[in-house]
Amino acid sequence: MQKRVTACLACIALSGCAGSGEGLDANGRPLEESEGGDVLTANLASIQTHVFTPMCTNCHSGAAAPLGLRLDEGVSYAMLVNAPSVEAPALLRVAPGDPDASYLIHKLEGTAQVGGRMPLNGPALPAETIAVIRQWIAEGAQAPSQDASSSVPSLTAVWPMQRMSSHEHIVVVADRELDATLLAAGTITLRKTDEAAERALVQGLDLPRIELRSQLPTVVAIAPPDGGWARGAYELRISGNAPLAVADLNSRAIDGDGDGIAGGDFVLTFKVEETR
Amino acid sequence: MRRSAFAAYLGVTAMLAVVVLSVPSEVAAEPYFAAREGMKCVACHVSPSGGGMRNQFGNIWAQTMLPARRIEVEDVPMWTGALSPYLAVGGNLRANGSYVDIPDEDTQSEFDVEEMRVYGAVTLIHERLLLYVDERIAPGGSVNLEAYARFSSADQRWHVRAGQIYLPYGWRLEDDNAFIRQVTGIGFATPDRGIEIGLETNEWSAQLALTNGTGGGSEIDDGKQVSLRAEHIRALWRIGASASYNDAEAGARHMQGAFAAVRTGPIVWLAEADYITDDSFPARRHMWAGLIEANWNYKKGHNLKLTAEYFDPDDDIDEDEQNRYSLVWEYFPVQFLQLRAGARIYDGIPQNAFQNRKIYFVQAHGYF
Repeated sequence: MQKRVTACLACIALSGCAGSGEGLDANGRPLEESEGGDVLTANLASIQTHVFTPMCTNCHSGAAAPLGLRLDEGVSYAMLVNAPSVEAPALLRVAPGDPDASYLIHKLEGTAQVGGRMPLNGPALPAETIAVIRQWIAEGAQAPSQDASSSVPSLTAVWPMQRMSSHEHIVVVADRELDATLLAAGTITLRKTDEAAERALVQGLDLPRIELRSQLPTVVAIAPPDGGWARGAYELRISGNAPLAVADLNSRAIDGDGDGIAGGDFVLTFKVEETR
Repeated sequence: MRRSAFAAYLGVTAMLAVVVLSVPSEVAAEPYFAAREGMKCVACHVSPSGGGMRNQFGNIWAQTMLPARRIEVEDVPMWTGALSPYLAVGGNLRANGSYVDIPDEDTQSEFDVEEMRVYGAVTLIHERLLLYVDERIAPGGSVNLEAYARFSSADQRWHVRAGQIYLPYGWRLEDDNAFIRQVTGIGFATPDRGIEIGLETNEWSAQLALTNGTGGGSEIDDGKQVSLRAEHIRALWRIGASASYNDAEAGARHMQGAFAAVRTGPIVWLAEADYITDDSFPARRHMWAGLIEANWNYKKGHNLKLTAEYFDPDDDIDEDEQNRYSLVWEYFPVQFLQLRAGARIYDGIPQNAFQNRKIYFVQAHGYF
């Protein structure tokens, strides 16, 4: 009897503990952190604030995000837009301008080829919410406005972090729009460091392809060759040094080495270990 | 009692007794079943930490002890899942009807197939070496959940599993949306790849897993996830502790938790509390998640489940806490069938409608 009373008291103690929300935004964060406004609108900042962060990131965040899909603020754009789905590789997660061909919409509407409807085991998003996400995609899946506070363009590796499997893309995002004509042979090189076999990556040749997933901001993906990457250690180098440096539309070379000054190569080292 | 029914009853009882005697330290299902019976998860499930395919004992127990009424079919042997000494199969189907009320939004009501899962186990060496697969085949296409090889010591005390496994941590609840499962990120939707070592004794069950820490996705860094679950089991109560450390490039995640169960008459109480430190956010977050659940088996085949849950998404922020309350009636009218009806009431900050939704559902659950 005493145990029942104790447990009942514990249940009662749990009740009434919900926060009042005072001083917080709709995501439960302090108001000073808020972005995206109060009403869901067809832009990524708003969708991030009203949908991805409160409903998706309980699972889709951090290194253990299911199927490697992170929807945290700051990385969701590069993980979604023009990125092939893991479950259905023939489809892009978000195909700008084409919500019907976007796997994200398939997952939200429950028509996906594989797996359950999202949010998994939860209530489906209201049709109005999905309609807003559809509208964002139909309008080109624009990126959120960039915080280009630095005077020189910088790059961030979205994928891989250190390792990846043989059929995955390398994804690098810039903090602004880069001159796409410079993203070609001579500026991006990939070296298999354990074999010292350097080769240029040239679109259209029988070599891995460079894909420009987005222009603003510039998201560059390097597709694996047919048959996938060979196992081993790699070094991706994006030139920030003369005579042929990747630069923004104002001809400012990238700050590849992160010293705050234009110039220096961006270097990403990683291993390909797993084959599928 | 008719003679044939009595004979079937005797047969079932004898079969159950044989299986019990042949599996002395292995028996369970939903955690409250195990706590009610004073047994371990592995007693009823193939997986040492529960969930997924039922073993022979689990199948027979589920057909005889769970349902309010057992339909006897003469001259048909009882289903045990075993198709041969080498091959066993099983499955679960959950079909739902739900009504969701989110403040200031149109209500939703729909019928849905939550999941159809099939299990297969090939015993290559009796009681020693087993290959296992757990595949979700609906809705949508097939998704692999578990696929592993398990090698057990001759005395069944030790085992090693390698492949894709559900991580050992806390109570393995059926409801992945429970805060303790959703916030820890360890549930049926996030198996991981790696290796597990387990120990089973009469009063202890423990598992230690080393996995990629990627929730089933490809490995992305050098870091690995280490998960530990240890449980001390007595007839009327049990207590355990869990810990997990995911050394990830995106930010390390530490989790510690305690869980317990006690049976008081017809009521089984479950509790779990977890403390999570997550560095994958721009600023480190400390989170709490907790659950208290009462399962009242007021009549054979009937269970009333009352659950109160707590979630603090950031210990450094005030007034952001969330609660969830559930009342679920579970009814096993006949073997292989469970009917459920319930309500889940979310209680969060008022400015977030999703945190204040109400879900009413009915579910038909077939299992074998």
